[in-house]
Amino acid sequence: MRAGCSVGLVGIAGLVGGVIAALASPARAGTVAGRLELPPAPERGAVAAKGFLDRTENPLAEIKKPSLAPYYVVALEGDARPGGAPPEITWDLVGESFARPVIAVPVGAEVVIRNQSKVPRTLVAAEDKKLIVGPLNPKGTKSFRATEPAIYTIGDGDAPYLRGKLVVVATPHVAALDDAGRFELPNVPDGSYQLRVFYFDAAEARGGASGWVFATDVTVATRGKATRVEVNGKLPPIARTAAAAKPERK
Amino acid sequence: MFWSKIWFFVVALAAAVAVTVALLLPRPAERALVRGEASRLQTACGVIHILLADDARNRVELAGAFARSPEIMAALEAASATEALDEGRMKQVRGIGASVMQAIQGSRKPDFAMLIDRRGRVVARVRLDEADFGDVAAGRPLIDDALAGYLRDDLWAQNGTMYFVSAAPVVKQGGYVGAVVLGHQVTNELAGRLVKSLAVDMGFHLGADSVAGSKTIAFDHAAIQAPLARLGPDAATDCEVVAPLEIRAGADDYTAIVARLPGEAGVKHAFYSVIIKRAEGLGLLGTLKAIKENDLAFGNFPWLAVGAGFVVALALGVGLMFIEADRPVRRLTAEAVRLAKGEIDRLGEAHAGKLGSVARSVNIHIDKIGREAKSAKKDLDQLLGPAPEGGLGTIDLLATTLPVPRSFSSPSALGSGSMSAPGSMSAGPAAPSSEFRFQDPAPAPGAGRRPAVPTRGNTPPPFRAAASGPGSGASMMPPPPPVVSPPSMRISTPQGPAMPPPNPFASQPALNLDDDILGRGAEPPALRRESSAERGDAYFRQVFDQFVSTKRRCNEPTGGLAYERFAEKLVKNREDLMVKTGCREVRFTVYVKDGKAALKATPVKDEA
Repeated sequence: MRAGCSVGLVGIAGLVGGVIAALASPARAGTVAGRLELPPAPERGAVAAKGFLDRTENPLAEIKKPSLAPYYVVALEGDARPGGAPPEITWDLVGESFARPVIAVPVGAEVVIRNQSKVPRTLVAAEDKKLIVGPLNPKGTKSFRATEPAIYTIGDGDAPYLRGKLVVVATPHVAALDDAGRFELPNVPDGSYQLRVFYFDAAEARGGASGWVFATDVTVATRGKATRVEVNGKLPPIARTAAAAKPERK
Repeated sequence: MFWSKIWFFVVALAAAVAVTVALLLPRPAERALVRGEASRLQTACGVIHILLADDARNRVELAGAFARSPEIMAALEAASATEALDEGRMKQVRGIGASVMQAIQGSRKPDFAMLIDRRGRVVARVRLDEADFGDVAAGRPLIDDALAGYLRDDLWAQNGTMYFVSAAPVVKQGGYVGAVVLGHQVTNELAGRLVKSLAVDMGFHLGADSVAGSKTIAFDHAAIQAPLARLGPDAATDCEVVAPLEIRAGADDYTAIVARLPGEAGVKHAFYSVIIKRAEGLGLLGTLKAIKENDLAFGNFPWLAVGAGFVVALALGVGLMFIEADRPVRRLTAEAVRLAKGEIDRLGEAHAGKLGSVARSVNIHIDKIGREAKSAKKDLDQLLGPAPEGGLGTIDLLATTLPVPRSFSSPSALGSGSMSAPGSMSAGPAAPSSEFRFQDPAPAPGAGRRPAVPTRGNTPPPFRAAASGPGSGASMMPPPPPVVSPPSMRISTPQGPAMPPPNPFASQPALNLDDDILGRGAEPPALRRESSAERGDAYFRQVFDQFVSTKRRCNEPTGGLAYERFAEKLVKNREDLMVKTGCREVRFTVYVKDGKAALKATPVKDEA
């Protein structure tokens, strides 16, 4: 019995020591990257803010299809909560639109909206009127902090077409897609994660569906080496309701 | 009067119906006017919408033409290729844009132009905010659509100003190099041009603010905006759906219709209104005011029918009045005159309706007077009793109580003895209806009763009948009793102080019908009382003298007679008779009865 107890104590001590040693050792982190195949761009949505006439196609060139990549963001979420000092995320408001229509930010991050235009704006989060308070002057900034995971729709009542989506996630590992659908998430510690993709449908006011459209499990195991985990996938096609295809107003 | 009343009712009913119709008729016209105004407004609203759409089509074509300018294509292609836009490039492109704008022909030259590169950046602005460049205009639906290859129009509201904007992509060699945006400001001149041929006014509004209008009208925007909140999603049908509004601006009332404007400005509650000044309330007076001279022309108004109707109604009314009112009244009046003249004793009772009732009432009263006269005579006899012997004489107190007819003024009528001459109450000479003797302080012994013989010629001189009769009382023979016109005292008949006592029968002229109805003029009561007192005294003196002379002729002693006592007796007797019979005057007559002088008192009830 005494020998058995001794073995047990040694084992516990060894386990605790191993854990301490593991925590004390340098972080082992890898990079999660990949390419998500974008769905085919839908036909241009119904005309917004229609005038007296229906829009007409020009006879000299084909109508350009909208680029979908700016409307996706990627978040790699795991068990670990984001640690360290919360980052500062800058979101540019250029003229009559945000530079990126949708951004993802970690919980606790300070979001700074920078008005690059010469037009004053009064931005409001539709889900929380107190999130952004006061006007945003030309060339000025407006900052706020999102403390809980949530999705906010930022807009200006004087410019209904000016809308942006702010996705607050409980992970520091967020990224946007380039035109080809590529993304890269550096400094991802070892562990099991879920890669999720959020899509912002600019026509959501007319029936477009925004939300998480893709998710896949990702495991990062560096084993002391720089590791790059490739995640490839195919994003689902854009779901548009019949209402979204109709003109906003005749 | 039955048919007259029916006719009056019919005429009143027709008048009421006419007034009702006159008051009601303007209302349908007013409703029709309101409907007409509403229809006119809706038509104007629709026409304005069509004109605006047509204007948008022209503007889009203009933007397309602008975008096809080779200089614009080259400038935007070059700008799209650069990462950063600088002021030098901005000025170059702005100059190109200005020159192209100048080349645009027509009255609808744009008020501004924006030249945008492929990335959505504003390379240059022309005529509006020319110093601004480099900002990203992408995001606005119009510009996004233009960059994607669409031509379209929109409405923008910036700094309280509204612009009709149009955009077109700039395509060079099959590729998009940018877009152009042209803007036309919404102005009063544009509003005036839109309603030039519509005879209405209009205004462009952005929320609670007026942006432009064909006429400056300050009215309550809250009221005019209210219907917009209840509209459906299809703004193109607003003109047909929105009900006309009644609004007030200053002292004027307007009818307005509103319709939403599309585009970005529409999201900001931009709308336009079509306004028409409300017609003044019609009503009866309004309708009368609106009548024109031509409306009353013979050819436009049924004057013949109206005139014929009026004549028929008038003739029918007058005829009914004559038949049912005038003629019966005349008949009754004629009978009344005949009654007054004594030609008939009673009024005929065959008159219809109220007139018959009047006749019956008069007859009832005539009968009542007759009964009262008989009753009064009996009462006086009982009151006075037989005249004591040895008195001053006999006073025949009641010859008759019936009203003295005017024809009695004729001496011949008096002489006929038909009106209760003395001694006529029984067989033989007409006897006084009642008599008594004055107490004589020295009665003559042996004096017996003799038949009464009215004296003639001894009556007081003022009375013609008395004066004309021969004096015969001294003979004491009882001749057939001549009727002597009695001296009469008209207490109620005014006469001048110097005039002799009037004879109520001879002194008055014959009456005609008007006198009978209206009565004779009367003198002031004070004068009448004074002259009556004086004449009463003279009258009593006259009667006294006649009485004394008659007694002397009858060989009766007159030593104990004193005028004061005689007059006092007459006054008392007169007052008693007036109280008892209700007569207005008393007439005393001296006559001879049974060889002795006697006095007869005759109450005269009606001297009319």
